[in-house]
Amino acid sequence: MTIAPKLAPAAPFAGKVSEEANPVYRQIRDLIYKVSGIYKAEDKLYLLADGCGRRMKHLGNCALREYWDRLTAAPFRDAELRELLNEITIGETCLFRSQPQLDALRKVILPEIVGEKTKQITKRLRIWSAGCSTGEEPYTLAMNMLEESERLLKGWKVEILATDLNDRSVETAKAGVYGDYALRSTTDYYKRKYFSTLDGKKLEVRPEVKKLITFSRLNLQDDSKMLFMKGMDLIFCCNVLIYFDATSKIKVINHFFTNLNFGGYFFLGTSESLMNLTDKFHLVHFPGSIAYWKPSLSSGKL
Amino acid sequence: MTTPLKAQIRERVQQIETMPAIPTIFLPLLKLMSSSVEDVKLDEVVRLVSYDGALAAQCLRMAASPLFGMAQPPKSIKAAVISLGLRRVQTILLTCCLGQAFPTRNWALDPAVFWRHSLGCAMVCRKFSEKLAGDDHEKAYTAGLLHDIGFVVNCLAFPEEFEKVMERAGREEIPLHEAERAVMGFTHCETGHALAEKWNLSEDIQEVIAHHHDHEAERTETMQPLVALVHLSDLLCRMRDLGHGHYERQKVDLIADPAWGVLVKEHRELASMDLVRFTFELDDAVEEIRATVATIFGPARSMARS
Repeated sequence: MTIAPKLAPAAPFAGKVSEEANPVYRQIRDLIYKVSGIYKAEDKLYLLADGCGRRMKHLGNCALREYWDRLTAAPFRDAELRELLNEITIGETCLFRSQPQLDALRKVILPEIVGEKTKQITKRLRIWSAGCSTGEEPYTLAMNMLEESERLLKGWKVEILATDLNDRSVETAKAGVYGDYALRSTTDYYKRKYFSTLDGKKLEVRPEVKKLITFSRLNLQDDSKMLFMKGMDLIFCCNVLIYFDATSKIKVINHFFTNLNFGGYFFLGTSESLMNLTDKFHLVHFPGSIAYWKPSLSSGKL
Repeated sequence: MTTPLKAQIRERVQQIETMPAIPTIFLPLLKLMSSSVEDVKLDEVVRLVSYDGALAAQCLRMAASPLFGMAQPPKSIKAAVISLGLRRVQTILLTCCLGQAFPTRNWALDPAVFWRHSLGCAMVCRKFSEKLAGDDHEKAYTAGLLHDIGFVVNCLAFPEEFEKVMERAGREEIPLHEAERAVMGFTHCETGHALAEKWNLSEDIQEVIAHHHDHEAERTETMQPLVALVHLSDLLCRMRDLGHGHYERQKVDLIADPAWGVLVKEHRELASMDLVRFTFELDDAVEEIRATVATIFGPARSMARS
C-alpha cells in the first residue's frame, strides 16, 4: 500500500503553532532573508512581529496586509525595508553578545592562527571591527585578547581597528562608557577587571583595554580607503551588510576577502549570512557559531 | 580491530539481548521495516501497535512533533498512516520503541542528551535527503536515528570504560569517538555494528553504523552516499547544540569534507544549497526536539550538563 504523504509543516523544520503564526510574518521573514541575509528564527519571530508592529503604528496603524504591500511594492519598498531592518536589529549590540563566537575564537581559531604564524618574526595579530557602532564589539574582543595575553598571545602584539560610518557612534565608542543594558551579558569578572565605575551606575572601559583599539570613521563603500585595510587576521562585520544592495555587498565582501590574511576569518552577526553571495570563503562551523574562512596557503584548500 | 577484541564485543552485546526492557513489537518492527513497502500491509502495522497501548499513544504524540510535522496529533495509527504514509509511521514507531528498548539507569551518557542527538540527527538526515532528489527520505531518517546506537552498547556493556571515555572527552573537549579510540581502543561504530548484526538490520543501515566516522581515516572512495549523509548531519548536529553534551574544539568545514564530495557526485543540486539557512532552520527545531525528548523519553538528568 502506498499513500502519498501529505505534509505541510508551517516552518521548514518545525510544526508548532505560535502567536506569530500569521503566515505573513513568515513571508516577511523570508523577504528579509532574501534582501539582507538576516534570518529570524522561530523563537525570534516575535521580535520580527514587534518590529513590524512598531512600524505599522508609526504608519498610522495600518494592517499587516497593507504593511506587507508597503514592504514589497514601489515606491516605499526600499525605504521601508531599511526602517524595518533598523527595528529588528536594535538592541543587538551589547558587550559579550555571542559567547559561542568568543569560545570559537579563543578555543579554536586563536590556537590555529598562532600555530600558523609561529615562524614569523613579528608576532602581530590584527583585528578589524568593521561597523563597530558604539564600540561594544571591539572592547569585547580587546578584553578577550587581554585574557590570552599571558597564555596563547604571550609576546604577541594585538591591534584592533574599529571603524564606523557614523561620526557620533565613533565618538561614543571612544568614550567607552556603558550602562546596564549594554553590560547585560558581561560577567562580574570582566566588569571588575576591565572597567572602572563612573558616576554611580555607569562603567567606563579601562585605559589598558582602550589602548589596544584605534577608532576611526570609515565608509565601507569607499574603495580607495578599503585598499588600505590590508593584513587582517580577523574581520568582524555585524549587521552592517544587511543595509547594502547585492552589488555593493559583493564589492565589500571582496574587499574583506582581499584585506584578510590567508588563514584569516570573517564573522557576521549571529543570525546573518552571506547567502552564497561568494564562493571565495569557506563556510565553517564551530560549536554554536559560524564563520567564513580564507583558507591558509598550507591547507591546500584554496 | 583484532579478532579477540571483536569476539569480546560480540560476547558483551549478547548480554544486552537478554535485557528485559525491549518492547515486544520492537524486533518484529525492525523486520517489517527491512522489507519493501509494497509487501507491508497496513493491518500488520496496526496489529503490531495494538499490543502496546502506551506505545500507540506515544506514537500519536510523536507524529505531532517537529520531527514528523503534523500540526495536530492524529486520532489513530490508521489515521496517521493515511495522512503521513506507512513508511513514516513505521519510523515514528521505531523512534518510540527505541526509547523504551533499553534500561537507562546509570548510563555514562545522559540518555536525554543521547536521544536529542539521535532524533536531531534523524531529522537533519531527512531534511538533507529531501534536498536531494529521488532518495528514500525515511531511510535517511532511520539511519540518522540509529547511527550512534553503539553508544547505548557502550553504556550497557562497557560501563566503566565508557565512563572514562566521557570524562576524557569532556576534559579535553574532543569528539567522543576520538576519546573512545584513545581510552578503549575501539569505538561505538564497532560496538554498534555488533548490535546491528545481532538485530539483523538492513545492510545499508549497518554500513552507516559501522562507518559514519570513516572519513577521518580517509577511506572515502568506497563511502556510500547514505553514510556520507549521516556523517555530515551528525557533524552539523554536534555544532548546533544537538551534540553529546560537551564542547568540541573543532572547526567543521562541511563543504570541504570528503563526505560532501561523495554526495555532490551523486546529487549536483547540493552544490547550490544555502547551508547557512539550513543551519538556522535547524536551530529553529532544537528547542522542540528538546521538548519532544523530554516528554517521550523523560527529562534530562541534569539541565546543567546539556
